[in-house]
Amino acid sequence: MYAIAAVKVKMSLSYKSSYLIVLFLNLVTITMYFFFSKLNPDLEIFGISASYFEFVFIGLALQFIVGTSLATVNGSIYNEIVSGTWSSLLLHFNFAEYAIGTTLAGTFLASFSIFISLGISYAFFGFSLSVSGIQIPLICLLFLLILLSHMTISMIFAAFTIYYQKNSGIVPLLYQLTKTFSGIVFPIALLSGFPTVVARSLPLTYGLEALHNVILSENIQWEIIQRNSLVLAGFIISLGILSFIFVSKSIKHSKKHNKVDWY
Amino acid sequence: MNFRQTPSNVTQQFMHENDSISFYSGLKSVFLRNLKILWQYKFTIIVGFVNTLIAASLFYYISLLVPQNTITQDGYVASSVSFIFAGAMIVDISTKILMKSMNSFTSEMRQGTFETLSCSPFGLKRYFLSEISFEVVYGLIISIMNYIPVFLIFPLFVGLKISWSSLLTLLLLLICILIFFFSLSLLVANFTILVKRGREISMVVVGLIHLLSGSLFPLDLFPQWLRVIAYFSPMTIAVRACRLCLFGDGIITSDIVWIAIVALLLGSVLIIFLFNFTYKKIYNRIREKGTVHEF
Repeated sequence: MYAIAAVKVKMSLSYKSSYLIVLFLNLVTITMYFFFSKLNPDLEIFGISASYFEFVFIGLALQFIVGTSLATVNGSIYNEIVSGTWSSLLLHFNFAEYAIGTTLAGTFLASFSIFISLGISYAFFGFSLSVSGIQIPLICLLFLLILLSHMTISMIFAAFTIYYQKNSGIVPLLYQLTKTFSGIVFPIALLSGFPTVVARSLPLTYGLEALHNVILSENIQWEIIQRNSLVLAGFIISLGILSFIFVSKSIKHSKKHNKVDWY
Repeated sequence: MNFRQTPSNVTQQFMHENDSISFYSGLKSVFLRNLKILWQYKFTIIVGFVNTLIAASLFYYISLLVPQNTITQDGYVASSVSFIFAGAMIVDISTKILMKSMNSFTSEMRQGTFETLSCSPFGLKRYFLSEISFEVVYGLIISIMNYIPVFLIFPLFVGLKISWSSLLTLLLLLICILIFFFSLSLLVANFTILVKRGREISMVVVGLIHLLSGSLFPLDLFPQWLRVIAYFSPMTIAVRACRLCLFGDGIITSDIVWIAIVALLLGSVLIIFLFNFTYKKIYNRIREKGTVHEF
């Protein structure tokens, strides 16, 4: 797992321009919402006692990480197939190790975006966010749950990629849905009807709701945090099991139909 | 057609476009070829509809957060939904055209078909023109189609009254924006063949245009120094002029509108000049570096 993570970090760093461009775009997004926040959107009516920029910063920071963990496992397997390294990888393949290793590498690199955005926001946008000792473990726990739940979704799509030997293009669509309906740039209380159903089907909605509660509320509502953590754990367990079943079936199918040239 | 064998003859053929088919026939072939390729990716077209709908939802819900749901700019008061949507849609459609052009070049390079196309007697320059013409036309048509469900679902421009003169001015502005993005795509494509990173270049350009054009907010919110920088992008004043036509009865004689038209046209001429100026230099450079491997 460590070796996979190290290799993936090295590979990503060899594409410095791509990495820097993603970083640049993340900063552009933060800046854009900073200026939008100057229109003074009122979040009090949604029961959120924070400024719009504080609210949106947490969401955007998570969006950078979630995008990476959603795309990484599936994208890495697709790249292995395209570049012809997939068949040799299968000799030593352990799906769990591969998934965790690639996700860790992606998250490690994506987290720089957050720290740089945070630094810029502190320095130029007058943004300040203070967290207490009790909040830190809660934030870490929720962060881990959010990361794992999106990793398992990526694992399911990786199974389809192995089966069909091509990328479906559904992951970017899911990312778009997550960006829009998880409450990143507006509270989900604004939604009604079918969009609420979409929002409640996305794991980030629960993670973000709990994180907003931990970071922005004056009094932590333990009930919300417990409930949302359990929902996230449910996502991880159910999607994780499903992904392992799908991946093993996909690999069997590939071997049976001679789609992996070593077999 | 007589294909010559020696590298110098091929170069000469490329530079002077000897024995080539006419530009019209080449353009038609590029259009037909691209349409056949796109037809293979029907799923992508459906995903385009859904993506546009999701992005529109994002802008719609964000605009509901604006206090009193109104935004003031250039002496008019507009509903925040219409204001944000007008800006975001114009920027989105025009930048999609740029992205599509760059993605097509990057994809040709990845698939290894770019060398063949660049070495054909039709000529790289005329291939550039044909490919980007296709992407502009296709990008425009597909974007308009993608936005039809959005207009049916969201009350974006409900109660909006626009005079005929403002509507005609708006159409003229949109044509100028298309010309500007056509020329910008040509220039960016030129650099794409040099650095081989079309997607990345276009992402940077698109990111900057989105931020500086004020698609989500009035430009008054920028500090003075950033406002000055923003006006270096002709899209900033173009978006402002389009909004003026839609919400403030702007016509061609309004200062913001005619300045926008002149800026877009001048910008296009300057960019085409830069394209012509850098084209041969970049082409010679890639030949020297051997990145078009047939030379």
